[in-house]
Amino acid sequence: MPLKAHIPESRQTEKPRDSYKWIGKDMKRVEDPRLLVGRGIYADDVNLPGMCHSAILRSPHAHARIIKINKSKAESLPGVLCVMTGAEAEKETGPLPSWANPPVHQYCIAKDKVLHVGEAVAAVVAETRYIAEDACDLIEVEYETLPVVVDLEEARNSTGDAVLHPYRGENNVAISRTLTFGPVEDDFAKADRIIERRFRWPRSGGTPIETHGAVATFDSGTGKFTIQANTSMYNFCGWMIAQSLGVPGHKLNIIPTLAGGSFGAKLFSHKQCVLAATLARAVGRPVKFMEDRIDNTTGSDSHASDRVYYASLAVKNDGTLLSLKTRIIDDFGAYLQFGVGTHGNALSQVVGPYTINSVQVDLEAVFTNKCQQGAYRGFGSEVANFVIERLVDATAQELDLDVVEIRRKNFIQPDQFPYLIPTGNMYDSGNYPAVLDEALKLSSYDSWREKQVELRKEGRYVGIGVASCQERSVWSTTEFWMWNLEPNGGEWTSSPDSVSLKIDPTGKAYITLNSPFWGNSPETVAVQVLAEQLTIDPSDIEVTYSDSDHGFNSAGPSGSRFTVMMTGALVGAAHTLKEKLLRIAGHLMEADVADLEFRDGAVSLKGAPEKRLTIAELANTAHYFRLDLPKDIDLTSGLDTSHVYDHPVTTLPAEDNSHMGIFYPIMGHMCHIPVVEVDIETGEVSFLDYAAVHDCGTMINPMTLKGHVRGGVVNGIGSTLLEHYHYDENGQLQNALFTDYLLPSTLESPPNMKVGHVVTPSPFTEYGIKGGGEGGRMGTPPALTSAIEDALKPLGITIDELPLSPNRLRKLIRDAQSSDG
Amino acid sequence: MKKRMSNAGEGSETVKKEQVSITVNGKECNHEVEPRLLLSDFLRDHLRLTGTHVGCEHGVCGACTVLIDGKSARSCLTFAVMADGTDIKTIESLGTPDNMHPLQSAFWEKHGLQCGFCTPGMLMTAFELLEEKPDASSDDIREALSGNLCRCTGYQTIVEAVELAAKNMRSEA
Amino acid sequence: MKPASFNYIRAKTVDEVLAALNEHSDAKILAGGQSLIAMMNLRLVKPEYLVDINHISDLDYIRLEDNELAIGALTRHSTAASSDLVRENCPLMAAAYGYIAHKAVRNRGTVGGNVCHADPASENPAVAIASEAKMILRNSNGERKVAADDFFIGLYETSANQNELLTEIRIPKAKLGQGFSFQEVSARKGDFAIVCVAASIKIENETCSEARIVASGVGEKATRLTTAEEVIKNSPANSESINLAANEARTFIDPPSDFHADSEYRKDLAFTLTKRALEEAYEQCRGRK
Repeated sequence: MPLKAHIPESRQTEKPRDSYKWIGKDMKRVEDPRLLVGRGIYADDVNLPGMCHSAILRSPHAHARIIKINKSKAESLPGVLCVMTGAEAEKETGPLPSWANPPVHQYCIAKDKVLHVGEAVAAVVAETRYIAEDACDLIEVEYETLPVVVDLEEARNSTGDAVLHPYRGENNVAISRTLTFGPVEDDFAKADRIIERRFRWPRSGGTPIETHGAVATFDSGTGKFTIQANTSMYNFCGWMIAQSLGVPGHKLNIIPTLAGGSFGAKLFSHKQCVLAATLARAVGRPVKFMEDRIDNTTGSDSHASDRVYYASLAVKNDGTLLSLKTRIIDDFGAYLQFGVGTHGNALSQVVGPYTINSVQVDLEAVFTNKCQQGAYRGFGSEVANFVIERLVDATAQELDLDVVEIRRKNFIQPDQFPYLIPTGNMYDSGNYPAVLDEALKLSSYDSWREKQVELRKEGRYVGIGVASCQERSVWSTTEFWMWNLEPNGGEWTSSPDSVSLKIDPTGKAYITLNSPFWGNSPETVAVQVLAEQLTIDPSDIEVTYSDSDHGFNSAGPSGSRFTVMMTGALVGAAHTLKEKLLRIAGHLMEADVADLEFRDGAVSLKGAPEKRLTIAELANTAHYFRLDLPKDIDLTSGLDTSHVYDHPVTTLPAEDNSHMGIFYPIMGHMCHIPVVEVDIETGEVSFLDYAAVHDCGTMINPMTLKGHVRGGVVNGIGSTLLEHYHYDENGQLQNALFTDYLLPSTLESPPNMKVGHVVTPSPFTEYGIKGGGEGGRMGTPPALTSAIEDALKPLGITIDELPLSPNRLRKLIRDAQSSDG
Repeated sequence: MKKRMSNAGEGSETVKKEQVSITVNGKECNHEVEPRLLLSDFLRDHLRLTGTHVGCEHGVCGACTVLIDGKSARSCLTFAVMADGTDIKTIESLGTPDNMHPLQSAFWEKHGLQCGFCTPGMLMTAFELLEEKPDASSDDIREALSGNLCRCTGYQTIVEAVELAAKNMRSEA
Repeated sequence: MKPASFNYIRAKTVDEVLAALNEHSDAKILAGGQSLIAMMNLRLVKPEYLVDINHISDLDYIRLEDNELAIGALTRHSTAASSDLVRENCPLMAAAYGYIAHKAVRNRGTVGGNVCHADPASENPAVAIASEAKMILRNSNGERKVAADDFFIGLYETSANQNELLTEIRIPKAKLGQGFSFQEVSARKGDFAIVCVAASIKIENETCSEARIVASGVGEKATRLTTAEEVIKNSPANSESINLAANEARTFIDPPSDFHADSEYRKDLAFTLTKRALEEAYEQCRGRK
């Protein structure tokens, strides 16, 4: 474990304070008016002159060689502009970006083999999407089917034609590594008892209501592509899309549209962008590719973790948790775009909020004939939360301890921060007992326990669940390193965010963001922060989004990082402009800069606020009256700057791989307490109550944060009760439609979720804020599972597999009742 | 690989196109359409009213909800020819940023949206509900909106927004 | 997901519909379109001709005629769901509407279209059989009546011929002494049933004299649970016979397994929903006296 002395110094310049003018306010969102009147521009709303439409022919087979494609009928259909095969696409468009090491080959249209149902075998461009789909129906493809692999335990033993990527190895194991942090064997030897469980976490997916899509043009005069798309990361690694297209980075401009939800799915939608652009180059007209719903469920490249855990927790009889071992098999589907990043992610908080001393992870990532994994709210650490909390519940059950007190007993204490966990990551600050106590109070826990006794006497199956979970925020790229046996050049260490900021001659401020709107509230947060910094009114601030031609390095929203990182960049930019404004004011007012302050939209003399110059007046001077200002060469005309904010606190992994360094340290925390009732005859679950307390440090806008918590809780309910992308033994996705892939509606969501907050600021971020965008989904699955298990306690049922459909619950109940005789 | 710069064909040339006259947001629109043209595409592509969104094209998500003769309908499960002679209201008729409908103001007030993609469908469904039941209870609201999927909000603030709008509309009445 | 091309015929009268059906063997009726258009968008069906019957307004009615509830085939679900005539005279249908789809779908979808689609997990077929409904079919030779018992014959299959149009559903009005209950479990409210049970019983002198218990979601079509009915008929109206009937429901059916629900679960639901339906129906009988 790294020494605390190696924790970098804090770069925080804005300390948290007791009161603010704009920060902490439930300000109505700046984004909303245009969205409310239906004037937001999403990818499918983009309409360019001469634009044509594309559709893909989806593979009906899960694993097959493409022998022959006959497209003559399709090509001669009136309205069709081109029909492109994978072999044709490859002439000018290379493989898609892949962070796997070694890379995994994927193409925007499958080349020699298809590796999952729904993968594109050909693409059609036509005057309308209707005609494009007609043409797809006319394409004749001859396949040679290959053995289909869908079971993750079997995938480890695949041979021969069942191997998806033979150039990588003789079986379907993509990566196999064991990582050990701390004295695991010693800790297990010391244990009074080993708690062992097998858990099955099912494949779900972010599945936003808006699918992925892009509108691309290729200018043959300049050799430059322009893509309008609902993807992120165009200012972080957009050049990788250019690389796939065979052009240098500066011959591609990516313009963001609004995204109708992402939850991680649209983190880097390279496939859809590369496909649209490849087609645009071929036909010489703008081409739109919008996934329809089946394109999306079968081939969006954004399914989520699909894991088996064999987990053991070493414990003492008094409930002290000592050490954790997990053997994991994760079904990544047909490709590996983000390597096994979801496992690095899990290691950021693998011990939960507890003082567990050591951890071992034995991971096998396998390929199967399914849509590949992408990112979904939690990015793999929601599964780690599920595992540790279920093990804690199991420990409490086996040792006959109270579920609340066992957690409290093992918490990292408030005076132990910053705290380094065995994997090397740091938890920056926290007060877990306070969050637990607040949750117990908010949920009226004691009163529910009393009611539960009465309700059980009436023969009702009512349960109360408790989960105390971490919600890490602000990832660093170093989280991805540990899995590489050999370096491959992808060991990046930067993950900044940037803003540009200017003030015009009339005193209006303009913030340019470098990453997109996903439904998070970046404009509102930016406006509140800048209003606070400059003491101006939010209505005097405009927020826009840069494209990749004009933008600066921006990792963007994901891993709950955008509010922290954008605020850091904005504070930096605001400081630069404030400094200049003070110098100008000092000169004009003949005062020392140290005697001046920002107040009510002006720079004024401390103690004599009537002596002031408004920001508008100062801006006017700055823009137009250079010769009235001192000769200092750096005092240029205008008020504009940009600021790149690097990760506030990250360190490299150890050279000997004994730890991962600090890679995800801005650590939020939550406690969820659901109360449910199970109808044991039908297996249906209903909510009687739901309380969630989150600690995300200083909050910029509590209202929008609560929105993330509630939305995340309902995502979590989906993952726990309803959602499972189900493939049969032939690799056919059984539920590609919304009739069968079940997103929660109003009636599956708790009607009155009580959301509370505790605030332990971060010592490292501006204002002490922490991320909170993912939190709800990261706590609900274990909390809800715990509540259902508690409800079924009279039947002695333990739950280790999701989703808890009525079918599954009824089977558990039936088996328990029959074994009772 | 054969490719064309353009192709005059706009659809199956053997199928007869139909003349439709549809009043959309108070304006009569006369167009010639293929029978198979979905109302959602007619609104979005022919009339450039892109506020009505498409999320699934099989009638489950509700993002495409509009009002046909005052009644909510999935525009993805309606052919434009079926809407001939009808009166359609889309989100664009509900209000403007300077003159929002009470539902829109309430959604803004209560944080009833995050990404905004499901919002037009939610608003049109809520609009119909409050026309039919001005004193809708929160259970009524949850039931009425159960056919509009939202992935962002967790629904609670949407229900609160509709309750607030109902209250404001009752006091204005 | 865009539909394939089709030729469009807008019928103004029933005769025009029949003429079109006779002329084009591949023609399909377009009523509400809530099932048909979804399937067409998925290209699961690609009819060459669609006959739009939405303009035949005299197929849209609900009337009481000779002690029978007459529902025109083009009646929208939302009309039926909020109809006092339906509520008073076919309480089973009124109860089922608490489980059927969502408002926007109910505004367009029709009772006739729904029953003709004959989805194995759909509610109205079960209601129709339990209510002893009769389907009125019109063809170019005239009219014929088919009992609901004989109308649903297989997976998405009814005994209506290709060149026939369902014009009306007639349901004998609820009688004194009858009790009804509709029970359903679905994955989410408004989804098609995993299993639903529609029960209609009559009690005379503390004994069940008539019973119809029908389930959807348990096979290829809405199915009368005849052995359960036999057990409950001529039995005292008590929980013992209810339990026996529910057990018969469980053993009578041989439901399919899919990833939503395995066969065993469907049997469980047949048991539980039959039990709950009979309990509620009996309560109603007692209330109605």
